[in-house]
Amino acid sequence: MLSRVADNLYWFGRYLQRAENTARLINVNAILMLDLPRRMTLGWGPLIEIVGADSVFREHYEDATEEDVVRFLIADPRNPGSIQSSVYNAREILRTVRDTMPRETWERLNDLYFYVQERGEAGIPRAQRQGVLSEVINRTLLIYSVLTSNMSRDVGFQFLRIGTNLEQADMTTRILDVRSTRLGREQSGPDLSPFENIIWMSVLRSLTAYQMYRKHMKRRVNGTGVLRFLLQNREFPRSVMFCLSQVASTLPTLPENRKIERAIERIRALARDANIEALLAAEAGVPHLMDEIQIGLGEVHEALSAAYFKTD
Amino acid sequence: MAFEWSQYRCQETYDELFAQPGQPRPAARQLLSYLQSISAKDLADRRLAADLAIKVMGITFTVYSEGKTLDRAWPFDMIPRVIARKDWERTERGLKQRVNALNHFIQDIYGDQKIVKDKVVPAEVLVDSVNFRPQCVGVEPKFGVWAHICGSDLVRDRDGTLYVLEDNLRVPSGVSYMLENRSVIKRVWPELFETSNILPVDDYPAQLYDTLSALSPRPGDQPNVVLLTPGIYNSAYFEHAYLAQQMGIELVEGTDLFVDDDDCVYMRTIYGPKRVDVIYRRIDDLFIDPEAFRPDSILGVKGLMRAWIRGKVGLANAPGAGVADDKVIYAFVPAMIKYYLDEEPILPNVPSFLCMDQKQRKHVLANLDKLVVKPANESGGYGMLIGPRATKEEREKFRGLIESNPRNYMAQPTLSLSTAPTITDEGVEPRHLDLRPFILSRGESTYVTTGGLTRVALVKGSLVVNSSQGGGSKDTWVVDFDEDLEPKQSQGQSQGQSQAQSTGGAR
Repeated sequence: MLSRVADNLYWFGRYLQRAENTARLINVNAILMLDLPRRMTLGWGPLIEIVGADSVFREHYEDATEEDVVRFLIADPRNPGSIQSSVYNAREILRTVRDTMPRETWERLNDLYFYVQERGEAGIPRAQRQGVLSEVINRTLLIYSVLTSNMSRDVGFQFLRIGTNLEQADMTTRILDVRSTRLGREQSGPDLSPFENIIWMSVLRSLTAYQMYRKHMKRRVNGTGVLRFLLQNREFPRSVMFCLSQVASTLPTLPENRKIERAIERIRALARDANIEALLAAEAGVPHLMDEIQIGLGEVHEALSAAYFKTD
Repeated sequence: MAFEWSQYRCQETYDELFAQPGQPRPAARQLLSYLQSISAKDLADRRLAADLAIKVMGITFTVYSEGKTLDRAWPFDMIPRVIARKDWERTERGLKQRVNALNHFIQDIYGDQKIVKDKVVPAEVLVDSVNFRPQCVGVEPKFGVWAHICGSDLVRDRDGTLYVLEDNLRVPSGVSYMLENRSVIKRVWPELFETSNILPVDDYPAQLYDTLSALSPRPGDQPNVVLLTPGIYNSAYFEHAYLAQQMGIELVEGTDLFVDDDDCVYMRTIYGPKRVDVIYRRIDDLFIDPEAFRPDSILGVKGLMRAWIRGKVGLANAPGAGVADDKVIYAFVPAMIKYYLDEEPILPNVPSFLCMDQKQRKHVLANLDKLVVKPANESGGYGMLIGPRATKEEREKFRGLIESNPRNYMAQPTLSLSTAPTITDEGVEPRHLDLRPFILSRGESTYVTTGGLTRVALVKGSLVVNSSQGGGSKDTWVVDFDEDLEPKQSQGQSQGQSQAQSTGGAR
């Protein structure tokens, strides 16, 4: 496996996962808006915070109106994390590594790419949005399914998995970070406590975790349960612990993996040992832990780069 | 009905599918009668299916402009070009003979230059050749083969003679489109493959792989073969990725490779350096090694020439092979065939006038309005003058160019180029086309693709088939049929026969 190709496959996994996650995030926020009383509105700003694009957004837009935020997240090429940019980047990468993936991957990615090109704008107004975003999600899932059904579990596949799982862990912690920050800020903003559970529910929904949460946790949705589930659950594919275990499971197939293993272990310890009740009680407890995990994910990325991706 | 062949007017040129208006050539009879049974609606549906297939399969060629890569969908015509197997076999023999002679020539040029000493090829032709690489003098690649992969362009004149127009010996491209055209046409007209005996083309990647792996300097082992591409901005990148995928070899860029102190080539992998045995390079000579050629090249690999000369790595095509790809050298190929092989050329050259020769130059300058003038070393149809279609200013410009650098120009009579029925906005009309077969040389054997890439000038009356200049392509069928069983009938009867076949046949 060429270093350059490994690097590309890793990023392909990340971009594809990012496109899917962003589509889900927008869809769920729309539903959350409908559930909250109009004066309580959280608005669309938090979505920009979640994807970590505040400064890019402010460069090009005045207010975080629904239309602007949705446009920015779906179809704005100036946002490097928009669905359109992610799919474009994934396609540019796949162009250079087409020979490593099943041919159908390229065909299905083209389906997704042309769909986003042609229909992305149409997904901005509310009336069409859900349909367009669902289609984006479906087409993304189809690519995963081509990969899981048709691609050999060679080392290239492992880099794809590493990419998708790190991206997912990243997104999960970002959502928890932003949503819990809002909940902890009751004194300055509007009092959201009566709607706390609705918000936690939307956290689950944006990670398609609601149903599995009910199944595993067997209790009503609240902050403790949601945090525990999304941080520590070993069976749900979008929990931080699950994603990191997936990355760790690829390591035996890879050389020179000691530093990466150590970086992963550090995050797993953070998630495993977290005292959820205490975190929720403390001011900025959750955001602080999420920052720690984010730093850890950055370290995993650095370690991967150093071990496999460098070409000079 | 979508196709009304009695309306098809092709008397002005040699048509590949029709002997006369309304009278199909035997090899095309089955195809044409089948097409006649297709309704306009059915045709429209299939055209849509073809366009979609091309788009989704991502069959594109790349145009680089304004800092962005633009993928253009591959322009494709749904009516195949048909060649009878018997005719093809002769062409195939001719191509093998020609490439064999060309490889002898290149080896001779970088060796003793006997052909020059024997005054068959004049010395000044070589001295001024921009594709002659002094770095290659004295090198003897494995099997004495330099041009492992050759793409020769064939054209047919009005009288039906098939000529070799040029030989591409540097980095010939187009073979992936030949393969993809076939898979598109199978999606579009699956019925035809049930009844006609269309010879398959899919063997090419396996043949290419064998050709390449035979070049390994470490026989016995499973060689590590890679395809070296300039990257995604190259117009043939689609093909590079496609071929690498089909052969199951690594697609590498210059930065993925390095030459170590032991003169061996390595690629950078996640496991550390891995030795490379054979490189199918799709980068021009001058860019493959900044140490030996252009120092500013960022596409190549430093030290690659050193590794090749020391026999540590196989390179296809060999650097310097382009010396025989020169349009002036071209004029000497028939002489080479006699000189090296002591055979008569099976496929003729287009008659050529070399401007370096005073008498021939005089003829060219006096007939600029009738001739096609070509620079010795341009490809892609650039820098040409098509005399009969040029303006007076263009002709005068070329007069100046020729007079100031006669070695760099040659001229040929304007061939009419054969046509084949092609779907256009104005209905089915004849369009001019050429054919590029690919020839693989391995020393002990030579392989020729079954047919090749048919390129078609989609613009009415145009003779330029290059995709960068408005050309498209067709699937090329070499068809096996038993001529004795084919009814030898007059025009009317044969049509009746065809109709009956199509109603009772596959549909």
